Amino acid sequence: MDYALHILILMSIYSIFAISLNLELGYTGLYNFGHVAFFGIGAYTSALLSISGYPVMMSMAFAMTAAGAAGALLAVPALRLTGDYFGVATLVFAEMVRLFFLNERWLTKGPMGLPGIPRPSWMNEGVAGMPIYLLFCLVLTSAVFLLVRRLTTSPFGRALKVVREDEYVAQALGKSVFILKIKSVAVGSVLAGLAGALWAHYISYISPGDFTLNETILVLLCVVLGGRGTNWGPVLGVCMVVFFGEAVRFLPIPAGFGRFIAPLQGMAYGMVLVLMMLKRPEGLVPEYRR
Amino acid sequence: MSYYAQLLLNGIVAGSVYALFAVGLTLVYGVFRFINFAHGELIACGAYFVLFFMAAPLSLPLAGAVLPALVLTVFVGLAQDRYVYKPLRHQSHITLLIASIGLSFFLRNAIQLVWGSDLQTYGIGLTRGVSFFGLSLTWIQMVMGGTALFFLSFLYILLTRTLLGKSLRAVSDNMALADIMGIDMKRVGRAVWLIASAFAGTGGILMAVDTNLEPMMGLTNLIKAFAALLLGGAGNVWGALIGGLIIGVAENLGVAFFSPGYKDFVSFSIIILMLLFRPRGIFSIAGGVR
Repeated sequence: MDYALHILILMSIYSIFAISLNLELGYTGLYNFGHVAFFGIGAYTSALLSISGYPVMMSMAFAMTAAGAAGALLAVPALRLTGDYFGVATLVFAEMVRLFFLNERWLTKGPMGLPGIPRPSWMNEGVAGMPIYLLFCLVLTSAVFLLVRRLTTSPFGRALKVVREDEYVAQALGKSVFILKIKSVAVGSVLAGLAGALWAHYISYISPGDFTLNETILVLLCVVLGGRGTNWGPVLGVCMVVFFGEAVRFLPIPAGFGRFIAPLQGMAYGMVLVLMMLKRPEGLVPEYRR
Repeated sequence: MSYYAQLLLNGIVAGSVYALFAVGLTLVYGVFRFINFAHGELIACGAYFVLFFMAAPLSLPLAGAVLPALVLTVFVGLAQDRYVYKPLRHQSHITLLIASIGLSFFLRNAIQLVWGSDLQTYGIGLTRGVSFFGLSLTWIQMVMGGTALFFLSFLYILLTRTLLGKSLRAVSDNMALADIMGIDMKRVGRAVWLIASAFAGTGGILMAVDTNLEPMMGLTNLIKAFAALLLGGAGNVWGALIGGLIIGVAENLGVAFFSPGYKDFVSFSIIILMLLFRPRGIFSIAGGVR
């Protein structure tokens, strides 16, 4: 029962993360390969503030602001780059953020990580608080889902899609491509920061090793698998990836083979990503096109 | 003074190996116009295949293990093209980019599956340095520099003196035109992957002889190759060569000024700065194997 709650909480948090990446990657066509940086900034900001005594909800609000600010800050210079170069710049940015977490020990305790991150005071700690935390996550996930759906079905969302398809057409229609992209990255980063903060308060221990390229690949896989540029796609992708990832634990695996599981899982993720690109690049829920 | 001269010398040796990585990456970019994220795994494959041939059942000496390891690495490189990139050639850049990220993740985890994620070495033992003019140079460093010099001179002769080199340069200059003029695109494609994987594998082996092997070595060195590629201008072979040397020297001199934990920050910052201010490289040359 507790295990089911754990999986649902993970799905819920990762859904926010995937929806936020999809806003940039699926709707605006910005290939952010460093999205985990904002997840990490959110997690560390919220953790550090709440550990030093701020109320959890306030720390989370600060975390979202910090992640959004970092996103806008990165976006202004990086958006001058096109396609693959934007991808490289964001990937490198994420690695720099991780190195910062690893090396600035006075702030982040370096590789030791931050233990004892509290939950909001009105939730019980440990197992007793899990149903409440799940409810809390589900409410936020639904809010994020509705917000992004509202954004993307509005004229703003249609403008984003025009930017994705053809920037010159967007310019010809009198839209500022740059401003649209900045807004998209800023909202995406704020939401990724929220996901990171939720995750940090749930897991209660974070370290730089949680924010590597592997996490980026995981969330990229969720978005690509479910379907880029759709509302339900990322959520479906997350459910499948988390479900199959956790289901592996129940396979009757002989003792001594344990060390092979993680690499096999990684190989499967990489393979699915390649196969999706080869066979079905639009994902399981293809975008509706008129 | 001799301290800095020593760092400069170490930098040149390391940089000549980075140049080997960067040349392959830039050749693939020059001809196929996409950044191959899985190039890093060719580096790691070269190093790990040598480990395989040196280990128990075959127990070849290092010198004997190099050739079969390189053959296998080239095989992996050609297979990348044959099964993933070739079917995607007419898709968008981004599809290729995501596929190469997936492929790199797949291969990295495959390496982890077979050899584990711990640090490994070839177990060659320490060698004494040779000193002259107050600078010391180990035998391994001489082999590194010498091999890099040999490979790069080979490439120079190939590109400037042979018909294959001429068609390679033509294709990278204008693919459509070269195709119309009757250049055998398949042959050029195979040659590019052969050179890229052989150079990456050789560099990986040299790195492993100098330091050690770990599954992430591909990614770390790929980032350095990116930095070198951007310094020289993407698609420019001679630029990549000089870029590699600059990265090596900058990184080693950087150790004198920053904490060693931030060593990779040098190449990261170079990438960001180049992307922002001179995306066409220090010489501002637009693409093409000159």
